[in-house]
Amino acid sequence: MPKPIHLWAFLQGIGHYPSGWRHADADPRGVFTMDYYRKVAQTAERGCFDAIVFGDQLQSRGAGGRTPQRLAMPTLDPMSLLSAMASVTQHVGLVATVSTTYNTPEMLAERFGTLDRISGGRAGWNIVTTAHPDTAPNFGETELPEKSLRYRLAAQTVAETSALWDGLNAQHGPSPQLRPVYVQAGQSNDGRDFAARTAEAIFCPAATIEDGIAFRSDLRRRIAEAGRDPDGVKIMPGLSFMLADTPEEAIARDEALLALADEALCIEYLSESLGFDITSYPADGPIPAEAIVAGTILPAADIARALEKPVAQGVTLGAFASRFVRTPRGHNIFRGTPEQMAEMMIAWVEAGACDGFTLQPAFMASELEMFVERVVPLLQARGALRKAYPGTTLRETMGLTRLPSEMAA
Amino acid sequence: MTRRFLLSASLADPALADPAVAGPVLDQAQAAGLDLLLLGRAGAVPFDAQVLAAWAAPRLTRMGVVPVIPPRLGHPFHVARALSAVDYLAGGLLGWNPVAEGEEPEQIADLVQATRALWDGWDADTLVIDKASGHYLDTHKVRASHYEGRWYKTQGPVNAMRPLQDHPLLVVDAASPFAVPGVDLAIAAEGQSAPAAARLLRRVTLTDDPGALADAFAQGDIDGIHVDLAGASPELSSFAERFAALASPAPDATGTLRQRLGLPLPEILSAPVNASVKESL
Repeated sequence: MPKPIHLWAFLQGIGHYPSGWRHADADPRGVFTMDYYRKVAQTAERGCFDAIVFGDQLQSRGAGGRTPQRLAMPTLDPMSLLSAMASVTQHVGLVATVSTTYNTPEMLAERFGTLDRISGGRAGWNIVTTAHPDTAPNFGETELPEKSLRYRLAAQTVAETSALWDGLNAQHGPSPQLRPVYVQAGQSNDGRDFAARTAEAIFCPAATIEDGIAFRSDLRRRIAEAGRDPDGVKIMPGLSFMLADTPEEAIARDEALLALADEALCIEYLSESLGFDITSYPADGPIPAEAIVAGTILPAADIARALEKPVAQGVTLGAFASRFVRTPRGHNIFRGTPEQMAEMMIAWVEAGACDGFTLQPAFMASELEMFVERVVPLLQARGALRKAYPGTTLRETMGLTRLPSEMAA
Repeated sequence: MTRRFLLSASLADPALADPAVAGPVLDQAQAAGLDLLLLGRAGAVPFDAQVLAAWAAPRLTRMGVVPVIPPRLGHPFHVARALSAVDYLAGGLLGWNPVAEGEEPEQIADLVQATRALWDGWDADTLVIDKASGHYLDTHKVRASHYEGRWYKTQGPVNAMRPLQDHPLLVVDAASPFAVPGVDLAIAAEGQSAPAAARLLRRVTLTDDPGALADAFAQGDIDGIHVDLAGASPELSSFAERFAALASPAPDATGTLRQRLGLPLPEILSAPVNASVKESL
């Protein structure tokens, strides 16, 4: 019997490809309606997913004060979406990404406390410290705290929030999980150490099975060093996928979707990643490297390093942008048949590269449905995926260690 | 539009965060003919009402939900995002009631104005969503708000659409008054100084005389009533028995809360609510 595979559905607007909203089967208007979220949540639950996960930002997208015209945004507040999805599902977990830097412990305790209660114990908190410089002015500040300070503050905020949950549980009776499942996604040294001390599940990029093994081994070592049981923490790398009946068709589908990312879209997308608006520069001209490095709101040294190679190659701005959109962001990208995908997933988990996957549909809602209809039954037939939920709380669903106080409750 | 007698109630029971309680309560409140249900109330906010309002959204058929929001649970940037989402999810059946918990009234007014400034950073007709041309939105219709108040300072733009109703209905309780323009509904007891609002709900109890309230409505003194309920189940039945007849005939059950209650659009409105999004609802 293969090891059990855990599944998260990482939902982000209309999907993870910047051009995904343009696909004929995508439903970009749906993201403003309850019907869409009802359908998506129930699809994930039909597929026995452990949880639905939303990322989040506390600033509007764009660069240099310009909002992109060709990217699907804005999206709706994930905490509200997950609360509404709780209302139309019974089992699937609900993991919200929420910042420790721009929420008070009281906001965090009340919000997640209420979500855990009203969902019957399905709340998860992806703990982030917020890294985008545009966030600070939205909260009346001029700049973000420096990174290691943000992580120190995060540890303090989590501890204070946890103490507030103890108080709320004493006052109103225990919420089903006492506190949400802690999720972490930081990749830096600070982030990994924080995850090792705190997280019950970890989201990460892993482009290859070797990357996955290396990351999981490193985290398991850090978790053990922090005095915790590594088996109590699930590692859930991202997984993009494009399915079809043959590998050739899958590649063709992927290429067709990428082709919908026209040059203007790619330049807006690149602007955002550079932290500098390049939309007014000619697409067929050179990369304005000096202006970008001088004007970026992101760490200038990182941006300069990213520009070195394309500048040396002499590619045009438009060509660089188009190439950038196609460059994998470190996540595993699968293109092939449902059978191949199921085999790959089982192989990764068997090899110790991960405990499950955070699926990143290219566009919604049909790509998630295709996975649930075509891949989930194969995983279930192999005994790698349950056919029913084992309990009601997210901690039970994920097979996580119950909190000592949870057992006492 | 015929002037209708409005029925409102609040519940601040912590048990409302239990789905086994909240589900039947919502059904019962809607069956009782309530136009508005406040989640929490000035002086009693035992949960995050924004989360409960989102949970309630897919269950609403005609009633508006009104999360009660004190500053400790709501920075304007977070409030703007959460209420935008819930207003869409609820098909425009959302209000909000900001309240002080010891803060000065001016801080609550500041919170409201900062939140509105963020919403107004998006014109109502910003979205284009044209797959063929790849044009998703009009960048000229999105602006930073640069709001600076005494308590809140927020730049924007906010990463949330302007709400479906442009702004959810703003409810001000005379128990926690503050002064801003464009208040949709005020709640005040008889003889209590009521905040200026488009509609006035009189705070009554389950023992008040429906006949006297019908007279007050007929004379234009009030637009409806509000009752603070101690617990849900038996009290909602008493509420319905005593007061539901005041609101007959049953109101039209289509459109947003703002439309159903015949309330004016917020003044800062620059264009009609985004037609393309609204049509798909």
